[in-house]
Amino acid sequence: MNTELIKAENISFKINENRLFHNLTFSLNKGEALHITGSNGSGKSTLIRIILGITPQSKGSIMIINNNNICYLGHKNALKGYLSVIDNLMLHGLNNHKDLNYYLEKLDLIKFLDVVVANLSFGQQKKLALLRVFLNDSDLIILDEPFVGLDKDAHDFVKNFLLKELETGKAIVYTSHIDCEIESKVLNLQ
Amino acid sequence: MNVFYLEYLKLKKKTRHWIGPIIVFILIMIAYPLTVEFLEKDLEKGFYSLLWISILLSMMLATEDIFLEDYNDGTLEQTIISISSFPFLIAKKIFIYWFMIGIPISLFSFLFSLGITKNLNISLLVFPFAMICSYIFLNLFVFGSALSLNKGSVLGAIITMPLALPVLIVLGKGVIAIQFGINYLELLLLLLGSLSIIITSVPFIVSYIIKAHLE
Amino acid sequence: MYKYIFYFSLFIYIFSLVWGVLFTQEDFVQGNSFRIIYLHVPASFLSQSIYAAMAISSVIYLIWRVKLSAYLILAMAPIGALVTFLALFSGSVWGIPTWGTWWQWDARITSTLILFIMYLGLISLHNSFSNHEKADKLLSWLVIVGFVNIPIIKKSVDWWSTLHQSASITLTDKPTIDPSMLYPLIGSIIGFFGIVICLIIISSKVQIFKREKTKSWIKDYV
Repeated sequence: MNTELIKAENISFKINENRLFHNLTFSLNKGEALHITGSNGSGKSTLIRIILGITPQSKGSIMIINNNNICYLGHKNALKGYLSVIDNLMLHGLNNHKDLNYYLEKLDLIKFLDVVVANLSFGQQKKLALLRVFLNDSDLIILDEPFVGLDKDAHDFVKNFLLKELETGKAIVYTSHIDCEIESKVLNLQ
Repeated sequence: MNVFYLEYLKLKKKTRHWIGPIIVFILIMIAYPLTVEFLEKDLEKGFYSLLWISILLSMMLATEDIFLEDYNDGTLEQTIISISSFPFLIAKKIFIYWFMIGIPISLFSFLFSLGITKNLNISLLVFPFAMICSYIFLNLFVFGSALSLNKGSVLGAIITMPLALPVLIVLGKGVIAIQFGINYLELLLLLLGSLSIIITSVPFIVSYIIKAHLE
Repeated sequence: MYKYIFYFSLFIYIFSLVWGVLFTQEDFVQGNSFRIIYLHVPASFLSQSIYAAMAISSVIYLIWRVKLSAYLILAMAPIGALVTFLALFSGSVWGIPTWGTWWQWDARITSTLILFIMYLGLISLHNSFSNHEKADKLLSWLVIVGFVNIPIIKKSVDWWSTLHQSASITLTDKPTIDPSMLYPLIGSIIGFFGIVICLIIISSKVQIFKREKTKSWIKDYV
């Protein structure tokens, strides 16, 4: 049985003739994590966007199985500042999810349900955006800097959640400056 | 259905974007008689030109940042990852904007036309013209604001205005046809035909443009 | 190579201009003022042809991703704007003695003016993006949509009654212009055409240098 979810061969990318990365080859199977690291401006987010199919690569080929079933959280968290927490959840179709209350409680968001998102702190907004990841049913989870702005508890919570997801056979791609103690393949963009 | 409701919810919360264009339209309509001497005959003369142009302007205001917010907060990225028929979504979004802004403005066009010309027949015929032209303008400006996404609305206006000029000419013809009671159905059908072409093509073009923006 | 074409076209153009302006007789109706056709007709003719060429390049760029066609669009846009401006300006100058006014809201003039604004829109759209490839794609879309609109604009403004005389030379009918004026006119069109093509070549060369400056072949070339 084929368990490969992503297969990339010799991917290069350049913007306005400035080369970001060159000849990257990697693959990802079910139950595996891929940690993309690198200094600022090395093209981590761009690589994520190439995997997502938003940005086309300059050279090379990339194949993703089941393109439409990806759970993605980027720098921009797709929250509407002028809507309340519950409205935002509705926007993403999560307001009736059976596990919603469990996670809201775990992340200390339950008492903010009617608060307008713009009045939440950065970390709280990040947690709210992460709810979409927790409640996903995708095979592939792609996260761009998921740990930025989180306190210790939330950090551990996210980490444990991701470990659990890996055990159930999902695949994860994430970028991070720091090592976050998830056993994963590492792709260093320099 | 879901998308309709969500866009409605978003517009309702952003009163400035929803009510704003309508109020600007009403203000221009109110300002018009003030700039003309109070003899009523003169009032009628330039009224319809101003009506079409103010519909054009308020549609421009309405679509000024139709995609900007979704672009800035990352909703557009999420959408093109998860939804397979992006053009259809855009078509729905434009429809909601027309429903919430275009139709009220058409209704006010009818009322102001009635108030100024005191002629019910003409005003009743102006109403469908206003409905169709507001939808056409909306689509055109959506195209322009997609191209000039996050570069300001002036650029969008420069791009879109030339595209809207033929519609204005047809509208001018339309008013004369209505006033003389001839051939206005033909012009209405012409507008309806162009509208159907625009409705079907603009969402596809806009979806390509937005994908290019996100790259 | 294009240098020779340039000098040759320049020679033809100046030759036809001298011939047309100094050695043909006066027009029976319009007097001497008609002599501006040696600028006006080629410019008006090219203002639309350049846009059509841009539209073709845009389609090529969007379908096959040929970079050169993107550079061509960019190179043509300012030249198209310039030529359209020349057409408008010469038309105005011609209008003063013949129509008694330098501007008339007439079908052809209006559509040419709209064309001019569209050129300006294209240029300002491309200038507002720092990512060149993105800008190329967006520009191509605008050029194509604008091209669809050009016949519509023409059709719609044609509904107005027009002052403008109809075309003197068409591909199908016999020309309605006296041969003594026709030959220098054809010469001036050919010459103008050649000059504009050379300008486009030069300007696209500039674009290529600008965009491919990191490539090694450019360094060898310069």
